[in-house]
Amino acid sequence: MKTYIKIKGERFYPLRHLFLLALAFFWLIPIFWLVLNSFSSANAMSISRFFPKEYSLIQYKNLLFNTDAANQFPRWMLNTTVIAVFNCLISSMFVLMTAYSISRMRFSGRKFFMNLSMILGLFPGFLSMIAIYFILKTFNMTNSHIGMIMVYSGSSALGYLIAKGFFDTVPTSMSEAAMIDGANQNTIFWRIILPMSRPIIVYTVINAFLAPWMDFILAKIMLNSGIASDWTVALGLYGMLDRSRKSLYFGQFCAGGVLVSIPISVLFVIMQKFYVEGITSGSTKG
Amino acid sequence: MAATAVSRVREGLAPVGAFFSSFALAVKKGDIYVKLSLVIMGLGHIVRKRVASGIALFLTEIGFFVFLSKFALKYIGKLPTLGTVQAEMYFDPILFTNVWNDYDHSFKILLYGIVSVLMILAFIYIWMTSVKLAYRLQCDKAEGVRIPTLRNSISDALDTKYYRTLLFLPILGIVIFTVIPLIVMIAVAFTNYDQQHMPPTALFTWVGIENFRQIFSTSLTSTFGYTFAKILTWTLTWAVLATFTNYIGGILLALLINNKYTRAKKFWRTCFVVAMAVPQFVTLLLVRNFFADQGIVNTICSNLGITAFLKNIGLVPEYLNYIPFLTHKVWAKVMIIVINIWVGVPYLLLIATGVLMNIPQDLYEAATIDGANNVQKFRAITMPYMLFVTGPYLINSVVQNINNFNVIYLLTQDVYETTDQLMAISHGRETDLLVTWLFRLTNEYYNYKMASVIGILVFVVCTVITLVAFNVFLKKNKEGEMQ
Repeated sequence: MKTYIKIKGERFYPLRHLFLLALAFFWLIPIFWLVLNSFSSANAMSISRFFPKEYSLIQYKNLLFNTDAANQFPRWMLNTTVIAVFNCLISSMFVLMTAYSISRMRFSGRKFFMNLSMILGLFPGFLSMIAIYFILKTFNMTNSHIGMIMVYSGSSALGYLIAKGFFDTVPTSMSEAAMIDGANQNTIFWRIILPMSRPIIVYTVINAFLAPWMDFILAKIMLNSGIASDWTVALGLYGMLDRSRKSLYFGQFCAGGVLVSIPISVLFVIMQKFYVEGITSGSTKG
Repeated sequence: MAATAVSRVREGLAPVGAFFSSFALAVKKGDIYVKLSLVIMGLGHIVRKRVASGIALFLTEIGFFVFLSKFALKYIGKLPTLGTVQAEMYFDPILFTNVWNDYDHSFKILLYGIVSVLMILAFIYIWMTSVKLAYRLQCDKAEGVRIPTLRNSISDALDTKYYRTLLFLPILGIVIFTVIPLIVMIAVAFTNYDQQHMPPTALFTWVGIENFRQIFSTSLTSTFGYTFAKILTWTLTWAVLATFTNYIGGILLALLINNKYTRAKKFWRTCFVVAMAVPQFVTLLLVRNFFADQGIVNTICSNLGITAFLKNIGLVPEYLNYIPFLTHKVWAKVMIIVINIWVGVPYLLLIATGVLMNIPQDLYEAATIDGANNVQKFRAITMPYMLFVTGPYLINSVVQNINNFNVIYLLTQDVYETTDQLMAISHGRETDLLVTWLFRLTNEYYNYKMASVIGILVFVVCTVITLVAFNVFLKKNKEGEMQ
């Protein structure tokens, strides 16, 4: 049976492409629906029609300029950006420092640290969150952004494995040559290894930056005052779909979802390249 | 197996033994200054002209004893009972108002008690190390070795001891934000900390393994055993199904897109990756409204007659006029897995694309010459290679899916209600994973003791899966001819 036709002398399989088209349709339809709803003039979700009755920018306008008790979107963006920037700085440094030590230096306790980090990774994260909440509460740091930054970046060093896998592949000859020239480990780390590790730095930095944007649950536990201006984007948008608010804020939720996705998509496209490298290089070494 | 485990433990404990024996040696062979360092930390250092380190050690000692008397002893003393003084309001005749008595706060006692014990252990370590160092300084002096100055130690900190400088803050972070909280929560599993015993108004105390007994048993008043068995079964089913549907789906999609006869590869890949870039909480909340009982999909299905058709063949209960996508226990479970395919396959597509590119093409050419068809090539070349490279990742994703909170919580919270009375009593639902159940128990019902027990059991499950999978699956693979 011939399942292809010839176009300009090359085989073309129509069925296969139709199948891909159908799959792509299913994958994109919720996204498409999100964008459509964000340009709808109706506040509530329409249950009878897929396409909005009327198109307008009112949802974006309300979201950005008409802030109220349930909508503090500009404030949420600011909060999340501040948390993300600090988390990004601290986490990336922690991860790179740990990965370098474990990859390039040999010391007693190294194996112990590696085993311990693996064991700690097997505990469900929430278990410690409850206690962290109480610890921060005794220092009056729940519902504060400093507390959030600490929660996100505190144990970030446990995610060192992928960066370690990368450092393992950087040839040792460079650092040996530098050592002969009298460089100490500090110089080698900052002047030789880091400049050679741009891909993993980009990966680590973007990953750390994205965490507060994507995370919903830690924010829910830590920022529980119920005051909208404290929230991060994820928490705020979740609140908009609360049962009591859904009929008023669904359109704004969609607009917010679109606005958040734009910067994230850009970063994601940059990171995409390193994502695969990270997964495969980090996993084949123990 | 057992023999290697024993020898491994012995190997792991060897440095600990060496640490203690060298301390004993230092105390035995040390001169009067070293011996006095046992009491006055840093004396041995100061005598050997390491004044700065000596003073720092001495100040550490003073600080520690202040900490011990002002803080640690108070809490450690109460640790065995977790407090005895119940919080009460009483009338203060001087202030002429109601005030709280000086009550015990069980959770603070537990937390600070554990922190104090850890601090004492850390101090003992510093104390023993300082005596050992004092002895080494004595030896160095006797042998005429130049005693390292402060400047030497600083340059050491940037060179041979650089790992200490680098790791200090990261490890401090791990201890404060992971290790201590975990120890505290593990301890909570052995107490009766729940809604009836909430500090500050009530005390809680140790109950031994009572909670573990409760989670494995079902009685008239407690259905934890029943709920736990059900939720554990679903958690494991979900973890396996979610991982493998995504894995197989991702590989097949990658093969389809990267086939040499597929046009516009980049375009197809972008279509799927776009779905990844929108944050999960946005897409999942959206999808949940998409499939709501009174949602858009239900309207379309009912207009197209699909609802009526499903009713006819018995897939939708008679009394409903909509498809219960996320509100019926079987439908909800199926939908969760389907939606998870939607969420997860793009990630696997990226990974599989990367790995497939690396498969040596000559393997396929050789197979073609030998007359293998596509299915045979997939089974004999593609799958073994994929499994070899992504094996550890695969095991890791099973563990991650056991803890996959987002998908379940965002899809079912406030939507799914259980009809099973026995489950409802212990606040579980059919669609719950152990972690979402844990979360509901703490966040809505303040049942911290059972939540901690569940957390520990999740750890046990994950550990068993990881160990078994790595031993059975990966060892076999390493001996393969994939090199």
